[in-house]
Amino acid sequence: MSRNNGMDRRQLLKLAGLSAAGLGLTAAGCGAGSGSGGTVTIRHSWWGADDRAKKVQQCVALFEKKHPKIKVKTDFQQYADFWKKFNTQAAGGNPPDVIQNAVTFLRKYEAKNVLLDLAPQAEKGNLGLDGFRAGLEKFAEIDGKLLGVPVGSNSMALVIDEDAFEKAGVTPKLGWTWDEWYAGLEKIRSTQKLAGDSGPHGVMYLYDMVLRQNGKAFFTEDGMGFSEAELLPYWTEALARVKDGVYADPKKIEQIKPALALAKGLSAGEFNWDNFSVRYGAEGKGRYGLAPVPSTDGKRTGQYLGSLMLSGTARTKHPAEVATFIGFMTHDPEVARIMGYDRGVPATTAQFEAYQPADAPNKAVAAYETEIADAGVLEPITPHPAGADVIEAAFLRIGTDLSLGKASPQDSVKQFFTEAETALASN
Amino acid sequence: MTHIQTSPGTLTPAAERNGPAAEAPPGGRERTGGRENLAGYLFMSPWIAGFLFLIAGPMVFSLYLSFTEYNLFDAPRWIGLRNFTDMFADPRWRQSVKVTSWYVLIGTPVKLAAALAVAVLLARKRWGQAFYRAAFYAPSLIGASVSAAIVWRALFSDGALVDRTQKVFGVEVGGWIGDPQMIIYALAALTVWQFGAPMVIFLAGLKQVPRELYEAAEVDGAGPWRRFFHITLPMISPVLFFNVLLETIHSFQIFGSAYIVSNGTCGPADATLVYTCYLYEQGFVNSRMGFASAMGWLLLVTVGLVTAVLFRSQKRWVHYEEGGR
Repeated sequence: MSRNNGMDRRQLLKLAGLSAAGLGLTAAGCGAGSGSGGTVTIRHSWWGADDRAKKVQQCVALFEKKHPKIKVKTDFQQYADFWKKFNTQAAGGNPPDVIQNAVTFLRKYEAKNVLLDLAPQAEKGNLGLDGFRAGLEKFAEIDGKLLGVPVGSNSMALVIDEDAFEKAGVTPKLGWTWDEWYAGLEKIRSTQKLAGDSGPHGVMYLYDMVLRQNGKAFFTEDGMGFSEAELLPYWTEALARVKDGVYADPKKIEQIKPALALAKGLSAGEFNWDNFSVRYGAEGKGRYGLAPVPSTDGKRTGQYLGSLMLSGTARTKHPAEVATFIGFMTHDPEVARIMGYDRGVPATTAQFEAYQPADAPNKAVAAYETEIADAGVLEPITPHPAGADVIEAAFLRIGTDLSLGKASPQDSVKQFFTEAETALASN
Repeated sequence: MTHIQTSPGTLTPAAERNGPAAEAPPGGRERTGGRENLAGYLFMSPWIAGFLFLIAGPMVFSLYLSFTEYNLFDAPRWIGLRNFTDMFADPRWRQSVKVTSWYVLIGTPVKLAAALAVAVLLARKRWGQAFYRAAFYAPSLIGASVSAAIVWRALFSDGALVDRTQKVFGVEVGGWIGDPQMIIYALAALTVWQFGAPMVIFLAGLKQVPRELYEAAEVDGAGPWRRFFHITLPMISPVLFFNVLLETIHSFQIFGSAYIVSNGTCGPADATLVYTCYLYEQGFVNSRMGFASAMGWLLLVTVGLVTAVLFRSQKRWVHYEEGGR
């Protein structure tokens, strides 16, 4: 309530006196987005760490300077907390006007009419859809509705501790196979006394790629894209590798959360989104690089361009201003210079060209994205079914439980599919 | 229970004498008419409105929800008792019951024992006693807060204070936070450490025990243990009962410390998955509000039953002075 700037002290006292009725009034006061004097206030929230928050707030300050009639209130949380809060706000009919979004949540919130269709705003000229790289403007189009606009593109990569790999004499290269990768991890384990990998068995996006390499996918449009029989050998193998010390000790990983295991020196590598590599440099002491993702046949990696995007919410009273803000964040060259590759390589050519990375980690991201784009390994991605976010979290949790020795691979696989079915049915 | 005073003359200090057994005196003798009653209700109206709209209303609604499937967005769908049958079949729900029971059955008695032991030590007259009382109570002031739980997480991690102290004594367990076997002990230690509130209540109880009883016992040759078990314990049993009741109910509701010590995962491997943690996860992460409501109601009924059993057991072990009730 303290954020409401349209209320003075006397009004506040009055409200306090009105008790129960007052509660209703202040709640309504918080919900109203517009202030006085013709200015419009929109709320924007996102997930991420402090460094992203600083950057976004800088962009917002710039936006408010260029658009003095629009004020933007900001709010951010960590990933999991963000979605808990957003879900509750959206259910209560009071979501922020603009949110950061991802492909996992498109169908879920589209089915619940939470997201704003930005197509009419683009037609009215409030939002430019020109100049996006590689058709990214279509990334969040579902059934003819434009549910979000990408701010950047990213893809899964193998982030490695370059010193550990070099000292062990392991050189990752484009087109290497899982067997070659695993032989490398064993070499690191025996020569460097360091786990070769943090353990990929709970990372949904990685298993998705493994499945894609075999012509499948983690999700179909409305359900699971694989069976218990496929997951069982994958998790059985992972458990053995944890026991052998080739994958890092899960007990140690638990304790340093939410820090990154690789950055804390618990392993020599882990799979993550390439735009995270900037975070590794900031959190850890080592020299971190991006390596190509291994594959089954030495060709198909199953990679695709993922993307963070900005979406409007359907209940907003100011769709035009929402579109203006999203347009600014995706097209303005200044924004690109502030954000860097924080949310991936900028989605529009104008922003892509405006930011020339000078530091090694960001240069590596640019080089990596160019490399995999040139190699022609990128595949299209279908938006995940509603409930995918819950399934992603269950995959991580049960995968971790398994590696901690809490449950057998058989029980873990069964538990995962039970929870996945519940999530698909109840979302 | 709040009692509305209708005539100022009837205020008696009876409540101070008898402690928990006290009953408020009956209200005003002469009828002063509906006007004052109306005024009374008017003064209470903020509370009544708050109770109806913020507590009673949502509670009734959640009872309805517990028989439905409800994801916050679509209208609730009636599914009868399926939430409850799903619950009993769910291994994670059973795990949450196990963790909570352990916490209630082990954590509460240990905490109360610590509180009583310290209270006995602090009850004696001694130089600087006021300082010690304040010092022992202090953790309870900050104990329930987020910051204490964060400090706890740091204390019990790999290479932190507890880990290093263990190593001095040749114990190689590693950090407790990442270990599914050990983390619950770290959590229990956090609870026990916050024994200040029951301790203060024990202290008040101990001061009420008449000195003559001890003197008489001493004359008869009773040692300190005998005096404790045969005089102190029976004499403070009403206070003990009060503390057992309160702490048991609190233990069932533990959430914050488990959530923060485990970094919001209630893990590792569901080792700190207390009941409310699972309820929260099902409701707010998985959007299964019907299931979460069902869990909430089952918890309420369970706590109610446990409370009833404790009240019934009173007759056997709680001694009230002056004939009791």
